[in-house]
Amino acid sequence: MPTMNAGIQVRERHTKHWAPAFKKLRRLKVQKVKLPNFREEDTISELTPDQIRSRMKEQGILPPRSWMERPITISATGAVFEPYIPPEGDGKLSSLTLGGAKQSMEFLSKKSKSMLAVRKIRSFEDNFSPSTFAEEAQDIYIKAHKALVEKDYDTLHQCVTELCFPLMTEDLKMCTTRWQFLKSLEPPRVVHARCTDIINKENIFSQVTVRFHTQQTLAVYDRFGRLIYGSEVVAKDVVEYVVFEKHLANSYGLWRIHEKIIPDWMPAREPGRKTYVQQKPVVESEPVADTAVPATPTEQSAAVA
Amino acid sequence: MEILLRQFQTKSFLSICKCLEPAYSHATSWTSGNAMLGKTLFHTSNTVAMPYNPPKGPRKWPIYNKKIFAPQLPGEERRPAYVCHMRTNIKYSPFKMWYVASMIRGMSVDEAIKQLSFVNKQGAVHVKEVLLEAQKLAVEKHNVEFKSNLWVAESFATKGLVMKGIRRHAKGRVGLVHYFHCHYFVRLEEGSPPAHFFFETAPKTTKTLLSEWVDEMRQRRIPGSL
Repeated sequence: MPTMNAGIQVRERHTKHWAPAFKKLRRLKVQKVKLPNFREEDTISELTPDQIRSRMKEQGILPPRSWMERPITISATGAVFEPYIPPEGDGKLSSLTLGGAKQSMEFLSKKSKSMLAVRKIRSFEDNFSPSTFAEEAQDIYIKAHKALVEKDYDTLHQCVTELCFPLMTEDLKMCTTRWQFLKSLEPPRVVHARCTDIINKENIFSQVTVRFHTQQTLAVYDRFGRLIYGSEVVAKDVVEYVVFEKHLANSYGLWRIHEKIIPDWMPAREPGRKTYVQQKPVVESEPVADTAVPATPTEQSAAVA
Repeated sequence: MEILLRQFQTKSFLSICKCLEPAYSHATSWTSGNAMLGKTLFHTSNTVAMPYNPPKGPRKWPIYNKKIFAPQLPGEERRPAYVCHMRTNIKYSPFKMWYVASMIRGMSVDEAIKQLSFVNKQGAVHVKEVLLEAQKLAVEKHNVEFKSNLWVAESFATKGLVMKGIRRHAKGRVGLVHYFHCHYFVRLEEGSPPAHFFFETAPKTTKTLLSEWVDEMRQRRIPGSL
């Protein structure tokens, strides 16, 4: 019936072999060769466990162990514990004004918890003092950034913890960086200190937050040598709260950069010269109800009826 | 300080085969400060189960993507970005793939994808997929701003794995059957495609035409002369 087949595409063969009765024998002339499947990785995620098991059997791979024991060394913590909350508007006022002077008079000795932590650090490190440590911290900071620019990852591991390393290096792997430390506008200051133990009570890590107010230049070039961030000439005043960590229980522990505290009130950085296509928000449409629409009476339908 | 972690089989066979999730979810139950360990410091994938399969096939082409150029001076012309991409061991003959690869040379990416969608060859499907992958890589990893601002600078196919089978002919004769694979390579460069990619088909300027005509005229000799 024409109405049922309307719109269906039908394709017919116009050729036929001159001796179709011998198709099977003709097929047996060619020996089938099993070709390796090079596009396996695309489909591996859609396999069921049984299929994976059979494939591994074919390739002669033993199944993995049901349990796994592996020794692990924890040389750095995974976060900043009890982070320092910088006071709002820090670094905006000049130290010559009254407000600015008040800000710089933020003594560590008035913070009891920090002083307890400092005392704990002194039990491991005899000659630890916040004033001398602040200068050391600045040296570590400069050393770390110089190593990052030169892509000297051996030195960088000495200056920076395992948490910080990927955060610093990942985006700059395919880039060239040019960084200069011009001067320190205010002497570096220890503003916060905390100690904690991981797993055992004797395994102590200490984290000390140091405030830097410095002048730096930074220029980042992409893989092709095109400038994508900053400038080599324009100097910027930077107020930073850098957290340094040390594994006190480890006799070979070092003070290394762990994290940076970026408060909410800090103005946003200058955007990099890179554009992105904004992803459209996925709007979930309401399901369409498949109901019959009542026919509106027209002249023709009225005439038929 | 060393600790021994024991990851018991609570997950399905599939996840163990794929060496998923690190063991921190079990480790933290042993510690007092769970948040301190965080997610970033453990890598506990099972390396014993899956044997190491060394990479096969061409490997030098993607190394061009790792080259880092020196920063450009302020007055220099902006260096165009490029991305090299390939697909190895495509089940297709390199002799047939040549037609598809050479068709898109010098085209813009959009034009190439459009044309490949309507080419009646199996190889065109693979080439189109490779072009789309390369376009995506260029935007995400190689700092190309507009995905349409790319053109096909290099496009070629080489011989891959060839397996040989046999077939019988009449009167006990034997024939060899070759099962060809090919590797397809493409380099996309940022910018608009050049006006004339092929030197031979570019229209000659009046200056060159004139100089060629003069050379031809000067090459004339009278045969048999002294």
